[in-house]
Amino acid sequence: MVTAAVEKIIHTPKELDAYRDKLSEKGKQDTRVVRVCIGTGCAAKGSRRLYELFCEAAEQAGSSNGSKVVIESKHVGCHGLCELGPIVVIEPGEILYHSVEEPDVAEIFRETVLGGRVVERFLYEDPKTGNKVKTPAEIPFYNVQKRIVLQQNGKIDPTSIDDYIAVGGYSALAKALGSMEPQGVIDQVEKAGLRGRGGGGFPTARKWRSCRDGGWSSGDRSPNGREAEAPEGRTASRRGPDGRTPAGMRYVICNGDEGDPGAFMDRSLMEGNPHSVLEGMVIGAYAIGASQGYIYVRNEYPLAVEHLKQAMDQARKLGFLGEDILGSGFSFDIRINRGGGAFVCGESTALMASLEGRPGEPRAKYIHTVESGLNGQPTVLNNVETWANIPAIIGMGASEFAAIGTESSKGTKVFSLVGKITNTGLVEVPMGITLRRIIEEIGGGVKDGKAFKAVQTGGPSGGCIPAKYLDAAVDFDELIRLGSMMGSGGMIVMDEDTCMVNLAKYFLAFLKSESCGKCTPCREGIAQMLHILERISKGEGELEDLDRLETLAELLTEGSLCALGKTAANPILSTVKYFREEYEEHIKNQRCPAKECKGLFLYQIDPETCTGCGICRKNCPAEAITGERKKAHVIDQAICTKCNTCFEKCPFGAINKV
Amino acid sequence: MDKELVTQIIDRYEQDPGMLIPMMQDLQAEHGYLPAEQLREMAAELDIPLTRVYGVAMFYSSFRLAPRGAHEVTLCMGTVCYLKGAPRISEAICEEYGIEPGGTTADRLFTLQAVNCVGACALAPVMIVNGKYYDGVTPDSALDILKALPREEAKAGSDGRTPGVRATGRPAAGAPAAGAPSAGAVKGEGEGS
Amino acid sequence: MPTVTIEGKAVAVAQESTILEAAQKAHVWIPTLCYHPTFSTLAACRICMVEIEGSAGRPGRLVTACNYPVRRDITVSVSSERAVRVRNGVMQLLLARAPESKELQELAARMGVRGTPYPKVTESQRNCILCGLCVSVCEEVIGVSAIGFAGRGVERAVAAPFRQASETCIACGACAAICPVGTIQVRIHTDTGEAEISPFKSRSKLLICEECGVHMVSVPVAQAMSDRVKIDWEEFRRLARLCPECRRKQAVKALGIGAAEGSVTPPEEIQVKN
Repeated sequence: MVTAAVEKIIHTPKELDAYRDKLSEKGKQDTRVVRVCIGTGCAAKGSRRLYELFCEAAEQAGSSNGSKVVIESKHVGCHGLCELGPIVVIEPGEILYHSVEEPDVAEIFRETVLGGRVVERFLYEDPKTGNKVKTPAEIPFYNVQKRIVLQQNGKIDPTSIDDYIAVGGYSALAKALGSMEPQGVIDQVEKAGLRGRGGGGFPTARKWRSCRDGGWSSGDRSPNGREAEAPEGRTASRRGPDGRTPAGMRYVICNGDEGDPGAFMDRSLMEGNPHSVLEGMVIGAYAIGASQGYIYVRNEYPLAVEHLKQAMDQARKLGFLGEDILGSGFSFDIRINRGGGAFVCGESTALMASLEGRPGEPRAKYIHTVESGLNGQPTVLNNVETWANIPAIIGMGASEFAAIGTESSKGTKVFSLVGKITNTGLVEVPMGITLRRIIEEIGGGVKDGKAFKAVQTGGPSGGCIPAKYLDAAVDFDELIRLGSMMGSGGMIVMDEDTCMVNLAKYFLAFLKSESCGKCTPCREGIAQMLHILERISKGEGELEDLDRLETLAELLTEGSLCALGKTAANPILSTVKYFREEYEEHIKNQRCPAKECKGLFLYQIDPETCTGCGICRKNCPAEAITGERKKAHVIDQAICTKCNTCFEKCPFGAINKV
Repeated sequence: MDKELVTQIIDRYEQDPGMLIPMMQDLQAEHGYLPAEQLREMAAELDIPLTRVYGVAMFYSSFRLAPRGAHEVTLCMGTVCYLKGAPRISEAICEEYGIEPGGTTADRLFTLQAVNCVGACALAPVMIVNGKYYDGVTPDSALDILKALPREEAKAGSDGRTPGVRATGRPAAGAPAAGAPSAGAVKGEGEGS
Repeated sequence: MPTVTIEGKAVAVAQESTILEAAQKAHVWIPTLCYHPTFSTLAACRICMVEIEGSAGRPGRLVTACNYPVRRDITVSVSSERAVRVRNGVMQLLLARAPESKELQELAARMGVRGTPYPKVTESQRNCILCGLCVSVCEEVIGVSAIGFAGRGVERAVAAPFRQASETCIACGACAAICPVGTIQVRIHTDTGEAEISPFKSRSKLLICEECGVHMVSVPVAQAMSDRVKIDWEEFRRLARLCPECRRKQAVKALGIGAAEGSVTPPEEIQVKN
């Protein structure tokens, strides 16, 4: 890996402190800041243009008032409340404006930034009280959350390392390298009780320790000061199995392949605060004794790649990556790889195969990757959010971290709360909070006042949780007990109009297209299960189908090579467990109670609402609708093909699904 | 075809066969797809079997073996978009233009790509055209947008700053094609052996 | 050396041996399809799954026998209900995928699996079960990597690059020989003097016996033999241009035995004494 030798700026922890002090001097002036969110959700609604307009305004104002007041326009990462984007926050006062559009920029700048006055119509309105509130702290969406990992998201400019340092960034690294032994770092992580945030929930410290013990590198000093010897049985050849890697070398990898549909936590972290991920990796690499790291980012996240690359360049310049970091003697650098487009590459051995230039096919893990991973070397792979927790743990101390959460699950978890929910967005909550609080208080309840039906957690590997468990505490073990799992954090809310058979079919179809195809149970089994579900959703189901699905589910769970196959049956198993009657209705009566499965429900025109405009009649491809102008129309059920066209075209909503 | 280009790309990654995927991504970025000749060239220069290069090209959804359309049209098939009707939009487009998800229109006007979740769930259903996001799309509005696509070569992607999905993405689950598109159809080459 | 107790029989095995190797030592049969002692194993077919008994009341663990490394004493059950259920389930899925393979049906019968309850829902190249043995032999033993895996999930298939006839295939037929389900065939086309490896479309010219004109090995294989077998004998090369039957006849002639065409009567001097 070639990185041109760079003249560092910061060489020791003391120099870092001095650097930070200088930055805070700047902040002492009268500063007005406009923070414009450019996370994908807001950017898609045009927030980048808003940012540009605010920049222009700031420049003009700056040049006209001399240098008494500093006016800055910053772009920042995802605030989380994507439903109400684009979001703009003005300092001082942390005034949050939502749904801002281009024509609003001038007014906001004039009134709030320059004049210090609030413009009411952009303020968030509390749906319960009807009151307008100014700051995030007053918005239930935010104040029920506990933002540790996301603390700086939306506050700092992710493309500015100075912003990160000014809020304390890299001080955890300085603490670890300056005053802690590698084993000591692992001990802290163990005391904090951190478990992997990517889905597996494996104890992070245990993984690090196994890797540290399993690998060795020349230069390792054993406690008695002599150079460590290779563990028995390991050949002391100079190069590892791939012929290039020095034998004994250890790696750390950041898994940014976030593939669960509906999950965008890692994206927001990588886009909104890339340095927190880098800092975590450097600390982890120090603890394990790795000199090379990789960040594997899903191909569909180009902004995350861009921000991470920028962050790495800045970190190198300042001296947080590269040789002799902060004067500790520890050297480490990172390289970024983009995925090629394969969900299965979120699986650790498949990811490593991808990094080796091969198809992302998982392999048996009878020998763990901490013993033999990338290029056959001891490797630690952790999720983005896991790495981002490390600076927080070292910074605040293990005990404070462990005070948050439950007995088995410490700390917080970031969830993407999406689906039929009022406040769609990204939330961070302490482990142990109930589903009800997340959905009702933070999420604002089910959209459009519909009834809550279930919430899917864990994506395609997870399951749905019905209303009767809304008061369950969200933690790793509880979710498994309920037949689901934490997964990476996708939380999809469903209402009474969601067909659970259709949902299971969706996840299975997804897994079928993403299965690597190597092992028989997954490749053939998923196709068989999907075939059955398709029959059921077409009204061709048989009573034995539920037993067949169970048998196949068991085969997949027991026989598959990797976690994709092993968990592939979860969506079916959990929907059958909690919504069996829905499946039976499809099978016995060829009816879809949620009215989603085509052909398994009827379309009827409501004579009260129908105005006789004739649009449905004219567009019906089967000519199944009859009626005179301005008189209520009628659908002939015998001819109707249930194509949904009339439902979409009716301007009066007079067509009901029954 | 440009032999130089392949050598350049391989040198950029120090002839490390482990970096095959980034090399192929760079190659595809140049041409918009992976020309077979240059893949052969790459295998030869790296001294790895052609089967391995071909296997990688066929495994990952973002790799294309045939040229794409002038415009990139991406439909999100993430859970939320799916539940809000994305399959019907896909059906409408496929029927109107006679293609399947992953395919390119006969006149090479656009390539339709279905991907799993672009992370903009509040805007569902989402359609992205050349990096520009359209939210709350319906079958009708989608067709209107496509009908308005200019016939001349579209500007390569967006201004680079909009976080779009450029020439990438996975074939989506639940994409209601007539049958599952075979690897051949999606990748743009002849039928299997 | 750890001990593996398998179906009640205890065998000591070298560290990092596989359960399959232990089973072979103990003469316990475990079905296999994608396993071969010569190549690295993919453990893809899952037909060799067995159950390692859990310790201290913990449930047992299902693992593939072909690649599970033995590092300490374990007790393995091949005939446990769970293990049998998984293996039989895998076979049923394979029978659905490849309904016409006689070899697969024979293995199924040996396993006690009668037919399959599953319909055929995945396409396969003429009964291919994607065991990968052909790919491995071509890459690791023959060394020409003419075929490989392409595609993902149910689209996964064994193919030559770009689905065209391979440029590196030497028509040696190793893939056909090792295919456990009879998918790959070597077809001799006497009209064009070519060998074709079906279904991969590659063809090579065949050497013709100088004596009797019968088709022998493919030209590239003969070339490879004379390249790789470093014997610089004129005689060897001369013999290589004859089919085995003619070679035998010539050898017999050279030994001065029997003049009649096709008859071999050793003279008394070299008759083998009982």
